[in-house]
Amino acid sequence: MPRKRALSGHARALLAALASAGPRWSYGYELSSLTAIRSGTLYPLLIRLEAQGYLEAEWQPPAGAGRPPRHAYRLTAAGRLLARAEAAGPDRQVAASGRRAGEAAS
Amino acid sequence: MSRPARLLAVRLMSAASRLLPARLSDWSRAMANELAAIADDRSALLFALGCLRAALSMAIAERFRSALYQLPTRSLAAMNSLSTRPRLLGLLCGVLAVGVGLAYLEAAGAPSRHLLVNFAALVLGATAWLALGRTAGSRLAGAGVAILALSVPLLLTARFGLVADGASRWVAVGPLTVQVSLILLPAMIILYARRPDPIGTAGIAAAAFALAIQPDRAMAGALAAALVAVALESRGRLPLLASAASVLAFAWTLVAPDTLAATAYVDSVLYTAFAVHPLAGAAVVAGAAALIVPAVIGLGRGMNDRPALLAFGACWSAVLAAAALGNYPTPLVGYGGSAVLGYLFSVALLPAAAREADARAPAAPVAAVRDPDPAPPELRAARPA
Repeated sequence: MPRKRALSGHARALLAALASAGPRWSYGYELSSLTAIRSGTLYPLLIRLEAQGYLEAEWQPPAGAGRPPRHAYRLTAAGRLLARAEAAGPDRQVAASGRRAGEAAS
Repeated sequence: MSRPARLLAVRLMSAASRLLPARLSDWSRAMANELAAIADDRSALLFALGCLRAALSMAIAERFRSALYQLPTRSLAAMNSLSTRPRLLGLLCGVLAVGVGLAYLEAAGAPSRHLLVNFAALVLGATAWLALGRTAGSRLAGAGVAILALSVPLLLTARFGLVADGASRWVAVGPLTVQVSLILLPAMIILYARRPDPIGTAGIAAAAFALAIQPDRAMAGALAAALVAVALESRGRLPLLASAASVLAFAWTLVAPDTLAATAYVDSVLYTAFAVHPLAGAAVVAGAAALIVPAVIGLGRGMNDRPALLAFGACWSAVLAAAALGNYPTPLVGYGGSAVLGYLFSVALLPAAAREADARAPAAPVAAVRDPDPAPPELRAARPA
């Protein structure tokens, strides 16, 4: 029987923040401020979520002259499912996604 | 907060970008560009510090995983390289066997002097191994003369050596008693196998005569086994003569009585080790078997220099067989510096780097360890099973 590993608090907080943003794109610093997750933890989490298909990322054009383009994020359908299941509890999450809880982040 | 904090943040972010693997370049750019969206310099600095920490940990994890994935490939390459270096492989096998022997002697309660002698012989033999390796070029040219010269101590031992139960195989060197044939004969055999010439043949015949009159059934058997193998392989007239002399000598020792009693920790070790502990017995047998590994691997890989490898394998197989069948020294795993020296001397004379039999055929390629998962390893750890 596979070992069930719960999502870390940071991963849950990030999923919740992204879920509450809905279809709107979020940015790294914005997510860091919203969730109080430091950038050193945030970016590895984002990288993993994207690699697992829970997160989509895109480059957005600069907001103004002299500003660089920004990387923006939002949950995919699978990510929204995971966030909903996670919000309902780890057991529901496993049943809903058919995947092991906690694989998304350590 | 002053502008230097902003500049420092930019520098830190630049360092983080350099640390991140190239495949994450999008992410390093994402982090760097985010700095422009942070109005407060102090927050920007903290953000950059965090990104640097993340980049550092990801870079370390990447290196570690990469090293881990390459480990099997590197191990295979090392094994592959070792299997074509009989000298080096032989040294390692010798060290292994002596190490196992020391553990056995300790476990069996042998006097500490025994352990010291074996260890000292290992150091001496390894030193000789190094020294002989440096003179490889000039060594074979004088092989015949060397064989003839080395047969003299064997003859002298037969005539003037220490006598026990009618056998004269030993000489006293200070407080130690050494078996001359066990030290010299394996080296003579390898030299002869690599370059059989008339002078060497005369030396081998003299050695065979010495072993017959000592008498030393085990070493005469080793000489006969090795030279018959050389004769069958090379089919030359001289090896045939040498093998005939050695077979005659061995036959003579079979007729001569051999009533020598077993010496503790020296003879019958392959059996007595099991009385210490089954694991000790198994280790001793494995250590003894390691002695012929250089020949088995070299021949298995189809190396040329077959006569030398065959002679080496036959010689030490015969010594081991004698130790298993009678009261003869168990080489390396039992007490006795003579066998340690003899083994390492003979190993030192093996080809340094044996060539494949077919020079046109490239060396067997090491199978690349392919990673079945195309995803970057860093992200793979978190993937659902």
